[in-house]
Amino acid sequence: MDIWDIASYAAWIASGLILLWMVADAIKVNRDFDESLLMSSQEGIDELLEDPAAAGRPGREG
Amino acid sequence: MAQKYDPPKQSGLGQFIDSFFLMALVYAALLLPILLGLTGGATETVLPDGVTQIEAEDGTVTWQGLTWESLGQNPTMQAQWEKLGYDVEAAAEIITTRFDYSIAPLSLLITAIAIIGYFIFLVTMSEKEYREVIAEKFDARR
Amino acid sequence: MTDQALGQAQPQRINLLKVLGPAHVWALGVGIVLVGEFMGWNFSVGKGGAFGSLIACWVIGLLYTCVAMIDSEVTSTVAAAGGQYAQAKHTIGPLMAFNVGLYLVMAYTMLEAADALVTGDLIAIAAAQFGHPGLDPRPFVVLTIALLALLNYRGVFMTLSVNFVITAAAFTSIVILFIGVQPWNPGAVLQHQGLLTDLPYGWIGVLAAFQFGIWYYLGIEGTCQAAEEVRSAGRALPLGTMSGIITLLIAASLTWYITTGLIPWEYLGQDLAPLYTASTLTGSTVLHVFLFVGTIFSAVASANGCINDASRAWFSMGRDRYMPVWFGAVHPRYRTPFRAILFLIPIAVSFAFTGLLDQVITFSILSGLLGYTFMPINMHKFRKKWPLGSIRRGYVHPWHPLPAIVLLSLCTATYFAVFLGYGVQLLAMIGFYIVVSLWFAFHRYKYVRRGDQFTMPWPRPLGY
Repeated sequence: MDIWDIASYAAWIASGLILLWMVADAIKVNRDFDESLLMSSQEGIDELLEDPAAAGRPGREG
Repeated sequence: MAQKYDPPKQSGLGQFIDSFFLMALVYAALLLPILLGLTGGATETVLPDGVTQIEAEDGTVTWQGLTWESLGQNPTMQAQWEKLGYDVEAAAEIITTRFDYSIAPLSLLITAIAIIGYFIFLVTMSEKEYREVIAEKFDARR
Repeated sequence: MTDQALGQAQPQRINLLKVLGPAHVWALGVGIVLVGEFMGWNFSVGKGGAFGSLIACWVIGLLYTCVAMIDSEVTSTVAAAGGQYAQAKHTIGPLMAFNVGLYLVMAYTMLEAADALVTGDLIAIAAAQFGHPGLDPRPFVVLTIALLALLNYRGVFMTLSVNFVITAAAFTSIVILFIGVQPWNPGAVLQHQGLLTDLPYGWIGVLAAFQFGIWYYLGIEGTCQAAEEVRSAGRALPLGTMSGIITLLIAASLTWYITTGLIPWEYLGQDLAPLYTASTLTGSTVLHVFLFVGTIFSAVASANGCINDASRAWFSMGRDRYMPVWFGAVHPRYRTPFRAILFLIPIAVSFAFTGLLDQVITFSILSGLLGYTFMPINMHKFRKKWPLGSIRRGYVHPWHPLPAIVLLSLCTATYFAVFLGYGVQLLAMIGFYIVVSLWFAFHRYKYVRRGDQFTMPWPRPLGY
């Protein structure tokens, strides 16, 4: 058992913890937030894309 | 006036099956050439004049008449090979392996038809769906 | 309907975060590609000799310059996370978009797997040099993927800032090696005089070399996936993409020059990590260490960018219901497509562990190539449906339609090159895309809302 063996086990454990954290966080988000909010992102919101005639209206993302 | 299309809602199980099906197809496409044993480019061994290669029953290869010169290697090349840790026989294994670029006209034709046909299918089918999208987007009243 | 929704303040709407600048775009594009200079490109030397590879490097460089020009114009106008997928949706149609989205997901997820595998192998090599032969690379492969996924999960700004640093470091290692081999003093270290030969296979070999010439640049078009997250798409995307392609042209030329001056072409054509090999041949420990670190950094940066791009494409397809809608979610705090990122982790790990590396890499290259074939069609339709002046474009590329025509002819030549080397895989893959296209057209598309897919505030396309 040298440093490389220890590193291997550490890598397995660290990977496992990271994955667990992400899964736990995703589950928590699913529980705490409404699905329609999570799904609410919209494509094509950009100042460049706005119709010049409608320029200046609020609501764009900064 | 185009009617607004209202898609059915997909169940969780249906969503799972669709994702799974797609991934299964990916693996099939990856595995198929391997199962058929048809991977990689064709290579052949091309021996220079005066060099012969004898393969024994147990798979060991012995060379005859092998020199750096016969492999077309000049002293500079030889020096670099040796720096890489290769002697003339080990280098010969690499040097005499050549790609085979012979073209089978039939399989070239089949491949060309498949690619062109695929893109024609994509563009025509997309065009049909696109007209529907545009009609609903710009004509439909909410 | 979206027009009015846009007009009001929308506190209950969450989008991806707009935080990226041109340097991040550069880091995303170059980060994915630079690993190709450390390994992979040199198979083109095996296919066509050293000069064959150089010709391929330049010709394919031209292909990618066309790609970058076309992409910069369309993406700076269609600023959406799906990149080319969203472009296809607006200019050609749903089935094409579905295919393009899949090209992106497949090309990047598979490249990610290959990168992680390389990182694991390099760590095993280092272990062997420090007296521990036979180290199992798998925990390090998984750790690489897990760490990078975590980075991606927690926010795009940090992800691409890290990518900027490690990509710049990897690029610097190539420059340091170039200085280290004393290019001003030919014959001292570099032996071009003695090592360069005529074309070993003639011109057909040069053509065959195109297949791996792609490695010099594969993935630069991934900059488009950042479109929804850059602060100013019209400025950052063309700037980041064009400076990226210039960086790659420089890196490719340096790499070719260094390695062909040190390694006989027959060896170079089948080597695993030619820049690293070149550094060992110089006999300098410092260069040796620099290139080892550079190689690892380039692989990590590439995997990182791939996770970013593949998840954006998968997310966009989910959002439009091309794929299950569940994937279209944005994390309320980190503002990332977190479900898409999570879903692709086991997929990438499985690609890395099945021992199908050759297949996976070929599939990745071919998916990229199919994506480039889509671009000229896209450009043609884009200019036809919305001529210059009809909508605001962030950037207008010059000499249309010349880049599109050049790109299409070069793609054709590259298909032929792939046919020479990997004819069966090419057919199997086209077969795959035909089957999924049928599946999409006759099954999956029924879940897709029709008019809503068209999200750009543009006038009706000409001729419809």
